[in-house]
Amino acid sequence: MKGFKVLSRPEAKVGILGWGAYIPRQRLKASEIAGLWGFEHSITKALWIEEKAVAAADEDAVTMGWYAARSAIVRAGINPQDIGAVFVGTESKPYAVKPSATIIADALNVSYKKLSTDMEFACRAGSEGLRIATALVASGTIKYGLAIGSDTAQANPGDVLELTAASGAAAYVVGPAEESVARFEGMVTYITDTPDFWRRDCSHYPLHGEGFTGDPAYFHHIMTSVKMLMEELGLKPEDFDYAVFHQPNGKFPLRVGKKLGFPKEKILPGIVTPWIGNTYNASALLGLAKVLDSAKPGQRILVAPFGSGAGSDAISIIVTDRVLEVREKAPKVEELIARKKYISYAQYARSRHIIRRIV
Amino acid sequence: MQVSKAFISAACMTKIGRHFKLGIKNLIHEVTACMEEKTGSRPDYLIVASALSALQTHQLDIASITTQYLGWNNIPSMRVETGETSGIAALELAQYIVRSGAASKVLVIGVEKMTEYPSNKVNADYAKILDYDTEYVRNITPPNYAALVMKEYMRKYGVTRDDVAEWPVRMHANAVSNPYAQLRFPVSKEGVRNAMVISEPITLLDAFPIGDGAAAVLVTDESARGKDAVEVVAITSASAPSLYLRDDMTELPATKAAWASLRRKLEAQRLDEVALQVHDSYSIYGILALETLGVSDRGKACSIIPSLEYLNVGGGLKARGHPIGATGLYQVAETYELMIEGFAGKQYSGEYALIHSMSGPDYNARLALLRRW
Repeated sequence: MKGFKVLSRPEAKVGILGWGAYIPRQRLKASEIAGLWGFEHSITKALWIEEKAVAAADEDAVTMGWYAARSAIVRAGINPQDIGAVFVGTESKPYAVKPSATIIADALNVSYKKLSTDMEFACRAGSEGLRIATALVASGTIKYGLAIGSDTAQANPGDVLELTAASGAAAYVVGPAEESVARFEGMVTYITDTPDFWRRDCSHYPLHGEGFTGDPAYFHHIMTSVKMLMEELGLKPEDFDYAVFHQPNGKFPLRVGKKLGFPKEKILPGIVTPWIGNTYNASALLGLAKVLDSAKPGQRILVAPFGSGAGSDAISIIVTDRVLEVREKAPKVEELIARKKYISYAQYARSRHIIRRIV
Repeated sequence: MQVSKAFISAACMTKIGRHFKLGIKNLIHEVTACMEEKTGSRPDYLIVASALSALQTHQLDIASITTQYLGWNNIPSMRVETGETSGIAALELAQYIVRSGAASKVLVIGVEKMTEYPSNKVNADYAKILDYDTEYVRNITPPNYAALVMKEYMRKYGVTRDDVAEWPVRMHANAVSNPYAQLRFPVSKEGVRNAMVISEPITLLDAFPIGDGAAAVLVTDESARGKDAVEVVAITSASAPSLYLRDDMTELPATKAAWASLRRKLEAQRLDEVALQVHDSYSIYGILALETLGVSDRGKACSIIPSLEYLNVGGGLKARGHPIGATGLYQVAETYELMIEGFAGKQYSGEYALIHSMSGPDYNARLALLRRW
C-alpha cells in the first residue's frame, strides 16, 4: 500500500465508507439531437458524446439522489441514524425554496439531529459538500456525513449544451479513515469569479460563453487545483493510478489530463460522459464511483471536479482493502450504464418538461 | 507640382487571439506602448480604425476615448469605419493628412475586440457590413455570399473543392512562422474538406477565425521619417454594386476599379514577384483577388498558390486572423516588417509591395502600394 505523503492534514483522518450511483434508464442518442437541430454530425465526434441519460417524468434530483445515497449507505454498512450531515449538490433542485436534502434524509431514515442543506456551485456543489462533510468528520463534529451530487441538467433546446446535458446522481458516505474503503490523502480547492456558464433566476435554461468555458474556466481551474494538490502532497502524475476529471463531454477530461501529464490509460477508466452525458454535479463523482467499482487496494486516485463560476477541487484518495468487501453490495456504474432503453426526442421533450402544457 | 511624400516609419502588432483578459483599451495600449518605445515620441494626429467597436464594446468615438485613456491631451483624433477595409481606409486618410501638411506624424491604430459576446452576436454584427435593409434582414451573411461565389467559381471554371483548399493549406503553413498569428498550425486538404460546414461548400477551415487584435503604424512626412521607412506610394479605393446586381459573381468589381487606377504606378513590375497581401476572409476571395489583380488568369489561381513566394507571408486573414477593423493594419505592419528586416522567416528584397483589402463580397476595396525607400 502506498504511504501517505502528509499525515498532518485534517482530511487524512477521514475516508469514503461507501459510494453509490444512479443513472436513469432512458437514453437519447446525441445524433438524434444533432439531426433535429441541423448540427453537423461531426460535432458528436468532436465532443465525444454518443448518448445521454434522461430522467423520466417521475424522476428528479431528489429521487435519483436518494437512490445513489441508499447504495452508498448499504456499502458503508452503517446505521443512517449515525449520519450527522446530509448535503445535496445540485443545480436542478425540484423546489427553488425548500431543501432537497431534507426529503432525501428523511426518506433514508437519517437522524433528525443533523446538518442538512442544498448546495449550489454549478457542477461542483456536490464535491464541496464532500469537502464540508469531510471537515465535519475530521473536526469530530459528526461521526458520518453524506454528500450527494444529483442533477437533471437543463439545456436550451438547440443549444450545443443539449447534446450533453444529462441526468444522474452519485453519493458518498464519509467517516473515520480506519473504517473507510478509500482514505483521503489531501484535498484542495481553487476558486475565482469567472462567469463562463450561468442561469439567471427564473430562467429555464442556462447560458454560456462558448470558448470562454474552456481555457479560462475548465482548463485553468482544474489545472491549477491539481497542480496545487500535487505540490502540497509532493506527488507527480506517475504517483496516481487513476485520474478522474469533471466531464462536460468526453474530450475535455482527456485533454486536461494530457496537459497535466496523465496518460490516457489512467483517465479512460473514470470516463462516463460519452455514454450517459454530462450529469453535472454527478459527473466527476460518477467517474470516481466507476473507478472504485474496479480499483485495487493500495491504488491512488486523483479526482478533480469542476464547477462553472468557477472552481475546481483536487482530491487524492488511496483505496483500502475494505473496498473488496463492499463493492458487490450495490449496483455498479457500468451496470447502470448498460441498463438502458432508447427514447425519441419527443419522449425526451416530454420527460424533461420541454413541452409546456396546462394540467 | 511636386506632391509631398508619405512614409511608414514604424509598426507594432499584438498577437491575435481570444484575449479574455484584455479589453479594447488594453489592446490599444499594447500597441501604443510598443510605438512609444520604438519612436520615443507622441504622434500629432491619431486615427483609430475599428469596425465593430460600437456594437461589440458599446463605445462610440473610440479615437477620443483613446486619447483620454492615454493622456494624449489636445491631439486631434478620429475613428474610421469602412467595414472590413477600415484599417486601410485609416491609412488612406493618414497619408492624405501627412501629404497635406496638416500633420507630420499620424499614428494609425486598428483595433477590434471580438470576444466579448457569444459567436452568434459577433457573426450577426459582422453581417452588418452588408446592406442592413435588403440583405441583413433576410438573414444573408458574408459567408453565405462567399459560398455562392465559391460555387459559381467552381462551376464556371471546373475547379474542385480540393483545388480551393490550396488556399488555407498555404495560409496555415505561412502562419506557423508568424508570432502574431492566431492559428499557428498546418492544415491538410483533407482537413479542410472534412471540417465543419459553415455555409456549404465553405468549411470552418475556409473561414477566418474570431479573434481580438490591435496593430499600429506610424505615418510620417519626410521631416519625421525614421531611418527604417517604407514609402506609401499610393492608396486607391472603390466601391461596387451589391452582389445580386452583378453580371459575374466571380469578379471583384471594386478591386478591379481600384487596381485600374493603381497599376501604372507599379511600372513594369511582375506582380508574381512582388510581395502581396490579399484579403482572404474566405478562401475563395483570396483566389479571386489574385485573378482580379492579374497575378493569374481567370479560373487558374489555385494552381499558382504554392509558387507565389511572398503571398500573405503572415498567413492571411485565414490563419493570421481577422480582427475586422485592425486587419488592414496587420497587413501593412507585416509588409513593413518584411521590407525592413524580414518577417515570418522570410526576407524580401523587392522594391514594391501591394496590399489588397476588401469588405464583404468586395462592397468596397482598397489597394495600398508600398515602396522600399
